[in-house]
Amino acid sequence: MIEVHNLHKSFKAKSGTVHAVRGVSFEARDGEITGLLGPNGAGKTTTLRMLYTLMAPDEGSVRVDGLDIQRDATAVRKQLGVLPDARGVYKRLTARENIAYFGRLHGLDEATIAERTARMAQTLGMDFLDRRTEGFSQGQRTKTAIARALVHDPRNVILDEPTNGLDVMTTRGLRSFLQQLRSEGRCVIFSSHIMQEVAALCDRIVVIAEGEVKAAGTPAELRAQTGEDNLEDAFVKAIGSEEGLHA
Amino acid sequence: MSPLAKSALLTVARKELLDLFRDRRTVMLGLLMGPILFPVLILGIGSMAEKRARTQLESTLELPVIGAAYSPNLVRHLESQNMKILPAPKDPDARVRDQTHDVMLRIAPDFGTDWRESRSAGVELIYDSSRQDSQIPVQRVRGAIEQYSGQLGVLRIINRGVSPEVTQPVRVAQRDVATPEAKRGMLLAFLPYLLILSSFLGGAYLVIDVTAGERERQSLEPLLATPAARAAIMSGKILAACAFGMLSLLLILVAFKISFTVAPGALRLVDVSLPVLAQLLLVLLPMVLIGTTLLTLISASVKSVKEAQSYMSLLMLLPIIPTVMLMVNPVKNQLWQFVVPFLAQNQMILKLVRSEAITSNEWAAYLGAGFGLGLLLWLLAARLYHREKLAISA
Repeated sequence: MIEVHNLHKSFKAKSGTVHAVRGVSFEARDGEITGLLGPNGAGKTTTLRMLYTLMAPDEGSVRVDGLDIQRDATAVRKQLGVLPDARGVYKRLTARENIAYFGRLHGLDEATIAERTARMAQTLGMDFLDRRTEGFSQGQRTKTAIARALVHDPRNVILDEPTNGLDVMTTRGLRSFLQQLRSEGRCVIFSSHIMQEVAALCDRIVVIAEGEVKAAGTPAELRAQTGEDNLEDAFVKAIGSEEGLHA
Repeated sequence: MSPLAKSALLTVARKELLDLFRDRRTVMLGLLMGPILFPVLILGIGSMAEKRARTQLESTLELPVIGAAYSPNLVRHLESQNMKILPAPKDPDARVRDQTHDVMLRIAPDFGTDWRESRSAGVELIYDSSRQDSQIPVQRVRGAIEQYSGQLGVLRIINRGVSPEVTQPVRVAQRDVATPEAKRGMLLAFLPYLLILSSFLGGAYLVIDVTAGERERQSLEPLLATPAARAAIMSGKILAACAFGMLSLLLILVAFKISFTVAPGALRLVDVSLPVLAQLLLVLLPMVLIGTTLLTLISASVKSVKEAQSYMSLLMLLPIIPTVMLMVNPVKNQLWQFVVPFLAQNQMILKLVRSEAITSNEWAAYLGAGFGLGLLLWLLAARLYHREKLAISA
């Protein structure tokens, strides 16, 4: 369970201060997939970075399973499985070693790491565990990064644009993986700029544009809020432009 | 330190070393270049200088003499001192200046007259003092003439029934207190620089790679999203780089040990016993730590690997500065020198290779200052590691 309350974040740039996130609030419940939908540059990644304690919010608060991200940052990171926007894997290590490295940093013992790795490899369809990741396809790299992020069996999962650069088959596989995480009762947040993807997967959608939440709710609620029958039109109406609709 | 942070530190260090050692070519270059190159440099230059001095001292010296006819006896004496007398060329000054001859002798036309009347007869040495090469030949000629002059002076005095000691109110004896070890140390003048530079920047590419490089490869953000404390992650990377640095220094020292035992001449006697090697490693350890933490600090504060690397040319100059300052403005051994980075290492290494005793005060000042500075840089780097900007690439 992740509760986000009135987040603000600005950056100093050469052209002046950029107010990237302006008062984002939402709630992501256990056993649900919450989608952050918005065009590129809407503030999704910055919002997520605050959720997984990489950045401190200027204002506002986030609670993960009741823990405050600023007071209990380390405890929060233990509850989170994070696939960041940056998902580099170590190319001279095998996929298995990449996963084990993160398992050890989470304080897991070797037996647990081996068992989780095997389970994850099966679910994600990783038959390349003992190859060095140098020369991996985008899909193989993403799978390795996801397995690495979830090796400690977290209750909450945050994925920043997980389907970026993946082919159709891998995307389908990933979708069923996310659904499995949901059925296990986890709280899943993922961000995307592709409406169809969010529509196909999410129990709740948070539409973000220009650093603000433009609309939020179940797909049915969104349609009702905007008075549009079709989710695509509802999205366009919510963000006020057609930008980012097409993948 | 909590057990979790300690295990994170060791996990990171182990992973970085594994990652590095899988990069065979980089490791080979990093570990073997120094051990192969440095002994070749030192031994090569050492034996070249020694060989040159020997040839100049022992070979027949070609000496053009102007006015050889004015003193056939002197010329015969010079010939007996392994010199070949050549006829005078035209324009002697120009011939010396253009290095056709290192030195020439001019015997004045009134040499014979002065000689017979027991006045000081004049001879003139023509040489270029700005040319290092002419030092030994000039010394040889001057020595031969002084010897000739001394012998005949004594004969003249004795002829007049006076003791030769009358003419020597003061007798100067020289006692060079340089120990054989210290003389060898002179041959090793630039050994400290090589060792300091290797310890300071030996693991530079590794240090830059594990922070700035890891960020560029986009794996730092997921790493920092784990519960492992940032200070522990950073310390693990520093530990890995220090271990690698010490390993490469050990190989360099072993290479020196081997090459000094097979070296010709004075270098063979350089003390490279195991206790000295161990002390050298201890002396260089703070330098490895300072270099690693400083580079970590730089890597954490810059935007890219390229930017971090552009500091390298500046950093390479740092170890030379104290050496050059000491050359221009030599100061006596004082305790404060053992706390100034680079200068301190220089002094300690020189003392070790010259087999001089190092007092416990000097050791304490040296290690305290070295590790103190390392710790300070570590703290500063840890602060930078906590900056938000660190994790975020692009």
